[in-house]
This record gives sequence, structure tokens and C-alpha cells, in this order.
Amino acid sequence: MTPPLISLFNVRQRYSGRTVLSVDRLDITPGSIVGLAGPNGSGKSTLLRLLAFLEPPASGTMTFEGSPASSSSSPGPVHRQVTLLVQEPYLLRRSVHGNVAYGLKVRGETDVTARVNAALEAVGLDAERFARRQWFELSGGEAQRVALAARLVLRPKALLMDEPTASLDSSSAALVRQAALAARSRYNTALVIASHDMAWLHAVCDHVLHLENGLIIEQKTLKKSEEMK
Amino acid sequence: MDFLLQGFFQGFVLLLSGDPETYSAIWATVAVSTMAMIASLALGIPLGFLLGHKTFRGKKVVRTIVDTLLSFPTVVIGLLVYAFLTHRGPFGGAGLLFTLPAIAIGQTILGLPVIIAMTATAVEALDRRLPMTLTTLGANSRQILWATVIEARFSIMLAAVSAYGRIVSEVGISMMVGGNIKWHTRTITTAISLETGKGEFAVGIALGMVLLTVALVVNVMASGLKRKAVQ
Repeated sequence: MTPPLISLFNVRQRYSGRTVLSVDRLDITPGSIVGLAGPNGSGKSTLLRLLAFLEPPASGTMTFEGSPASSSSSPGPVHRQVTLLVQEPYLLRRSVHGNVAYGLKVRGETDVTARVNAALEAVGLDAERFARRQWFELSGGEAQRVALAARLVLRPKALLMDEPTASLDSSSAALVRQAALAARSRYNTALVIASHDMAWLHAVCDHVLHLENGLIIEQKTLKKSEEMK
Repeated sequence: MDFLLQGFFQGFVLLLSGDPETYSAIWATVAVSTMAMIASLALGIPLGFLLGHKTFRGKKVVRTIVDTLLSFPTVVIGLLVYAFLTHRGPFGGAGLLFTLPAIAIGQTILGLPVIIAMTATAVEALDRRLPMTLTTLGANSRQILWATVIEARFSIMLAAVSAYGRIVSEVGISMMVGGNIKWHTRTITTAISLETGKGEFAVGIALGMVLLTVALVVNVMASGLKRKAVQ
């Protein structure tokens, strides 16, 4: 049996002595879509940072593909498989091409330009028009899509998204959603989406976890047809 | 005021005719400032990066010392370098006193705090999301370090331009440890000082025009880099 992509066992996270997240057990399976719902401050972003291995938990165990993952926040091999897109992503001070190509270059990948162009097209940006633009020449929606392209180009095993469409207009939001779902279809990328858009979460997710005060208070398993996804 | 106008005219003639004495001073200035800049950048960027990026005990004290050294008087630097390089000093045996490398050492001490302080400020001012972004894109520790320097590149270039402006226009260090030796260690600033004392305005004005041109280029570059750094 294939082990879950990411598993959390009795994970607790504390900031300044205060417990902000407490998860007894959570599995993210390859190709699944998991939604995180809950009010602001409920622990969604903390959970995403833990799932992205960006910070170690205060206690508990995390595994990646069945093996214990580093509990350190130092960059490691797992960071090349799991990537996080936040609501207001930071773009590197370089061109759109430079931003999208960065992750490929640090991996020493070849065929960079073709993959960058394909990723830009996947998020609805014309590569010919946008590739040479500088980071400061983009609107908020374009910047968000460039940031998503920079992650999709890596073909990650897990793409974690924290309110990815909250500050976007409806057309940009639709493009971000389509691109993320396309990555799941093409590369079996597991998606973990934190959002207040319950309609979207219920439409696309296999499971929706409701968080409140750092606890998962409800877990809904949804049966969706492939057409809906 | 005729002597000034005449000095300007003669200054142009000296520059355009390739006067060897004038160009010797220009060459000496270019040589020492280049050596000093290479040393200041090689030492200053990593030290500034560490000061801005790392948290350690005594960081505030180090920062205060670096900031204080920003206004290190050039004659005091000249005095210290002289004391170390004179035959009675700890490095007297190296035979560096009254040479271009001696001036470069002093100018490095002058430029280093500028590079360290401005690089540290640039790194501190970087967006807090940068390390997380680089990590989640798969960069390792070394790649994160390099990308951080690249992100701060316009501010670091601004630091370099500012340090160059200070180095190229100083006179105290060049005079004290260079000795203002004609054809050897006479720089633009020491030559201006000497020629003005002799009442020879033409050479002074010619060299002054070169220095002003350098200042203009430095300022144009600095304002362009400032714009880029805040974008």
C-alpha cells in the first residue's frame, strides 16, 4: 500500500508558550484535494507552514512518504517536493521568467525556458508578453499567477495554497483555480487549500477540514465526480 | 578672477594634450581607489551580510561601532596606517609606507564601514517573506544566501558607489601614507592640494574637473540605484 504523502501524528505547535495548533492525526494522500476552512486565527496558515515543512512542530511527528521528515526548518530534500503559495506571495526582484525559472535552476534542471513558458500559459499568462516583464510591472492578480506558475513549473508532489484567491478579481481567481486543478490532473499533485470560499472547497475537495482555535473540529469527506474537478 | 578663467582654460589644455604629470595623478587615483574598492567589497559584503542577517550577542555594539566608523576622520586613518607601516611599527618590515598599496590600505579602512553598514541595512530591510519563498521553491542554504545577496543587489551597489565617492575624494590618507611623491603616489586630491599651495591653478583645476566628473557619475549612478532599490 502506498504510504500517505504527508502524515502528522500528535502534532502540536506553540508560539510564545501558547498552543496554536493541535492535530492528533492527519494524512495527505497523493493526488488528493484537501480543503481547510475556519475563521481567521483558527490555525489554517500554521497547519500549512507545518505541512510545507517550513517550521518544526513543538511536539509530535511528521513523515513524508512514510519516512520521518526533518523536524528542522532548514532547507532539505522535502522542500523540493512540497511547495507553498501564500495569499500575498513575494516575487523575486527579477523578471517574470527569472521568477518562474528560479526553482528549476536551483534544481539544475534543463529545458528551463520551455517549461517556464508552459507554466505561464497554464496560469493564463501569455509567455511572449509576460516573460520579460519585471516584478514591479505586474498587477496583483498577475503577480499571484506568476507565483503560482513558479510553483507549478516544479511539478510538486504537494501544492499548499493559503487563501490563493482572496485578493484576486473573479477572472484571476478562476485562472488560479483551474491551473491548480490541472496540476493535480497532470502530475497527481496533492492540493491543500485554505480558503474562506466554501462553495469552491465543497466543489473541488475530497475532504474539508474545519478548524477552530487550532483544533480540527469537523472533517467532511466529499464525493465529487471527476467532471466537477 | 582672470587667473581662475585662465586656470580653467589651461586645465582643459592639460587634459586634452595628455599632460603626463596630470595623467600620472589620475592613474595613481584610479589604481589606489580600485584596489581599495576591491578589498572593501570583498570584506564588506560578507561582513555586512552577517551583520544584517544573523542574530548574535553583541550585535548592537558591533552595529554602533560600524556606524561610528562611518565618520572616521581620514587623517586619523592616515595616522593609524602610518603608525603600523612605519619602520618602527608592527608592519614596518613590509616596506609599504609611501606606496600606492599603503594608500589603498587606508582607503579600504575608510570604505569598509560604508559597505558593511549599508549592506547590513539592505539585508535587514529585505522582505521577511524572502527566506520562506526561497525555501519553498527548493533552494538550499547556500542558494538562499546567494539569492539574498542578489535581492539586495541594488542597495549593495549603492553602498559601493557611496564608498567610492568617499574614497576617491579623500586627501588625508593619501597625503600621510602616500607622501605625495611625484610620478609615484601623487593622487588627484594631493596634487590639487600641492598645486594650489604653489599657486599653480591650472593643474589643480584640471584635476578638479576630473574629480567633479567622477562625483557627477557617482551621483547619477547613486540616484538610479536608489530608485531601483526601493522598487
